[in-house]
Amino acid sequence: MTDSMDSSDIKLGDAIPEWVMPSVLRERMRTMAAILRDPNQVHWDPSSVERLGFGNRTINQGPLGLSYMINMLHVWQGPTSIRRVYVTFPQAVLDGERAIAQGEVSALREDNGERIATCRIWLDVGEPGVALEGTAEVVISE
Amino acid sequence: MVPAEEIRALVGHQFPGGEYTIEHWENFLLTECTGADLLPDGMVHPVALFHVPILGSNTSIAEMFALGQAEADFSIGIESYVWEMFTPLFENVHYSISGRVTEADRRKHEAGHTYDGIAFQFTVTAPDGVDAARCTITWHYRRGLVT
Repeated sequence: MTDSMDSSDIKLGDAIPEWVMPSVLRERMRTMAAILRDPNQVHWDPSSVERLGFGNRTINQGPLGLSYMINMLHVWQGPTSIRRVYVTFPQAVLDGERAIAQGEVSALREDNGERIATCRIWLDVGEPGVALEGTAEVVISE
Repeated sequence: MVPAEEIRALVGHQFPGGEYTIEHWENFLLTECTGADLLPDGMVHPVALFHVPILGSNTSIAEMFALGQAEADFSIGIESYVWEMFTPLFENVHYSISGRVTEADRRKHEAGHTYDGIAFQFTVTAPDGVDAARCTITWHYRRGLVT
């Protein structure tokens, strides 16, 4: 889903290779709801979402949308690279939407011998726009 | 509408706390839901940092809704999640978890409606006593939706 990048070349403004969820699936929301013991119907009962005016859809759990951006960062710098993520949720992600995790390097620093990138990250869902946005601190692999 | 004083009084509320062990089946299903492949060596996908702290501190999403006197499930909105990852989580490790309310206040949205912002902070500690992760969930409890 993405191309690797030579870590030694990472610099301010670099784009992080995007990570794509081709279609957000209702079945995955239901599995998540069961594991999370999440009583909120908007994640598993489309009639409850229809009453809210979003149509016969279900709303993706916030942690799932966040995880798409984590997947992007894992592919970029490895599964132990993330130190911190902060994410806000401007709008809902609905089933059937194509979600693209994107990001760019906004700062670089040295900390205890590690090279840390602060990254602006966001989840684009096409016409509705940006559904999630925030920042991540990622250790750059040598 | 619930009095603002009752919401502000939630600051400092501690959940009972407890332990949580992430088993392979759970990590497998969670990871599949994210669309990723399993991480190597029994490492747990960070998506677990939402429900593991909640359930491990012996509370639940439903209880957190009730604590803030949510008018309905759909009245809850997410302000932000902060996940600080000090060490990776692994399957079959017994983590100790504590949680408390760190912020609670009444606010007015720029769109005009009233809501209460409540922040819950959870700490996940490994068996050797080292903190593995800290997670802060801030939810909006919108008021005046249900009459």
